[in-house]
Amino acid sequence: MLACFCHFLFLMQRCGATENIANANCRCGFTYVRQIFYIFIVSMFSSQVFADKNIVPTSIISENKVCIQCHENENKQLINDWRNSAHAKIIPVVDCISCHGGIHEDAVVKSRHDQTCIPCHGGKEASVVHSYSSSKHGTLMKLEKNSYDWNLPFVLANYRAPGCGYCHMHKSNHNVSTTVRHDLMNDLETKYVTDSMSTVCQDCHSPRYISRLFSNGEGMLEIARKKYREANNLIEQATTEFGAEKLATANRQLMKMQQHLRNVYLGAGHQSPDYQWWHGQPALDGDLLRIKDNLGELRRLGK
Amino acid sequence: MSKKPPRYIWVPLIIALISVPAGFIYVNWNKGGEGAGLYSRQWLPEAIFAYWNPKEFYQSVDTVVGEFSGEQCIECHSALTPGIVNDWKKSLHSQLSEKVFCNDCHGSNHEQLHMPTPDVCGSCHTTQHEQFQDEKRFGFPSHALAMERALDAKHFVDKPKAEVTACLQCHSVATKCDSCHTRHKFSAAEARRPEACLTCHSGPPHPDDETYFHSKHGQLYLAEGETWDWSKPLRKGNYPAPTCAYCHMDEGKHQVANKSIWKFGIKQINPLTSGNEIKRKQWINLCSDCHEADWSEDRLKEMDKERKRAWNKLYLAEKILKELRADNYLYPLAKERPPYPTDSAKDLMQYERIGFFEGQASAFYNTSAIERDYFEMWYFENLAAYKGSAHGDPSFIIKGHDAMDKSLEKIKRKAEKLHTLGEDEKDKGRRENPEKLWFNGEYTEYNREHN
Repeated sequence: MLACFCHFLFLMQRCGATENIANANCRCGFTYVRQIFYIFIVSMFSSQVFADKNIVPTSIISENKVCIQCHENENKQLINDWRNSAHAKIIPVVDCISCHGGIHEDAVVKSRHDQTCIPCHGGKEASVVHSYSSSKHGTLMKLEKNSYDWNLPFVLANYRAPGCGYCHMHKSNHNVSTTVRHDLMNDLETKYVTDSMSTVCQDCHSPRYISRLFSNGEGMLEIARKKYREANNLIEQATTEFGAEKLATANRQLMKMQQHLRNVYLGAGHQSPDYQWWHGQPALDGDLLRIKDNLGELRRLGK
Repeated sequence: MSKKPPRYIWVPLIIALISVPAGFIYVNWNKGGEGAGLYSRQWLPEAIFAYWNPKEFYQSVDTVVGEFSGEQCIECHSALTPGIVNDWKKSLHSQLSEKVFCNDCHGSNHEQLHMPTPDVCGSCHTTQHEQFQDEKRFGFPSHALAMERALDAKHFVDKPKAEVTACLQCHSVATKCDSCHTRHKFSAAEARRPEACLTCHSGPPHPDDETYFHSKHGQLYLAEGETWDWSKPLRKGNYPAPTCAYCHMDEGKHQVANKSIWKFGIKQINPLTSGNEIKRKQWINLCSDCHEADWSEDRLKEMDKERKRAWNKLYLAEKILKELRADNYLYPLAKERPPYPTDSAKDLMQYERIGFFEGQASAFYNTSAIERDYFEMWYFENLAAYKGSAHGDPSFIIKGHDAMDKSLEKIKRKAEKLHTLGEDEKDKGRRENPEKLWFNGEYTEYNREHN
């Protein structure tokens, strides 16, 4: 509307309207003179900027900036969210076309499926994907995905089982980074799920259940950290005693612990019993005792 | 004149008469605490456990006051938790002439809500509930005994609660029906699909998912399962290839463990006892839905052979470990390992647990590395081979046996090393004290006090 109003005045001016109008301020903060300049510049670079909302590109879109030209006007928040996300910061950039494809017609519906995320996140076998697909949510998704209406947005339990997008891009949140933890060893950041995620579950589960589950998940992750720190401290002490070279085996085991710690996190986040347990806690127990065994052997040999 | 019975009769008799009731009373006394299971006096549940074992631990929310009808529940919860209401609307419960509403299972008083237990579902679904409870007579492993098994396990009770919540997510199959018939749709068709089982039946000790999907049966399911009519009962002619439930819950029977011969592969059994012969016949009968009886019998025999091969390997490893134990060459010894919260009888019962019957199931933490190697060989590699064998996936048989061969070599080498180190220390008369390494540390110290 605002744009139309401005364009109307712009046309009036072209037709010889008074000087006063030209110097008055438009609601959007531009003087008419500046607006003419603005429209002129933009129209130089894009033929789409004047496009009516209902007129959408029909040819295959090959560049991200084509999408942004229109969508920044439509939903600036969405574009900014994406700009703040890890997707926009990594190289190569995960841009609009990476997920939505180049065909405007089914761009949104297509991108809502889990297959959009899986190839970049390690494929089916990767722990981040497998921890989800082995959860109850994941198995239900596998069984029911063909019966869902993928035209619907990720809100209000429109999907019986949540897929990647339902939780990580809830209400079209394009800053996926707000939904994941980055530094798993940082125990000051006690929440294994971020605040923006905690409301998502309430579409289906009771607030008390969610809060108990979350606090349990935090506890679970802290236990895993305790195991890691115990091993790390032992190795640090041993390094001063025996030198770094002799600790190669122990350090390799410590690296496995990082993976197993991550499994606990993924298991708690995706609610996969296997990742919380067999790929997580008992695996960490095994790492810890093997590190102790290795250091014990060094001590016994060193005597 | 009757002769006084000899001492070797009346002394054991009196001992038995005293100790059996005393044992019975002691066990029951242990179960009478505020927690649950054998350790109910030493262990209390975490808040989240209310949802895994509602019968024992669930307490209602008291944030909303009043009595509500089913329609009223739906009215509020359509906005509060739309997912639940959507599910219910799709369920059979909402389509009956006499609808089953929220309050029929959860109660009407919002301050005294309950979380439905199998008994609640069983009040209508009597056959299934009776069958499910009847499974208990087949012993563990079984669904119906899964929660008891967890709560009575020392390694469950000893570890921090936040850690072992992971266990209850699967072991709660005994205490709530929605493990398979997910809430609030409670669909029988959904529970018939293999995917309904695999959230729990996956991972290193029970790769049922991978072995089934690799098998010819599973490949057929993956290729055409989408087109099968899952509303049909699990019986001959209804499905072109068998699924988890088709074989283990034939005719929809809820005694899932009723035909279990090898008992999860965790111990060696005699597959030819009279009881197992009956089960073998039941299996052959089931396979006969598609296969010839002789052919099916041969497959069972093959499995027996594979199991024998596996146990021969496991016993070799067990022998090595028991020799080390006899020589006191395990490092650290059981008495040199940190104590746990429920270790009351620690000084009486201290020995390294080697083999299934000594409680090896707990040997995945707080043991020496070589014992853990054997644990993994027994619980991961052996069971992978077993599942491959049982589900018709040759790749897992090969993988499992290869891994066991490697583990056996590793255990042999490690044992030699421990032997040399132990002998050296004996000669010198000075043993490196493992306490400094094994007793201290953040997790170990935390777990000493907290379960």
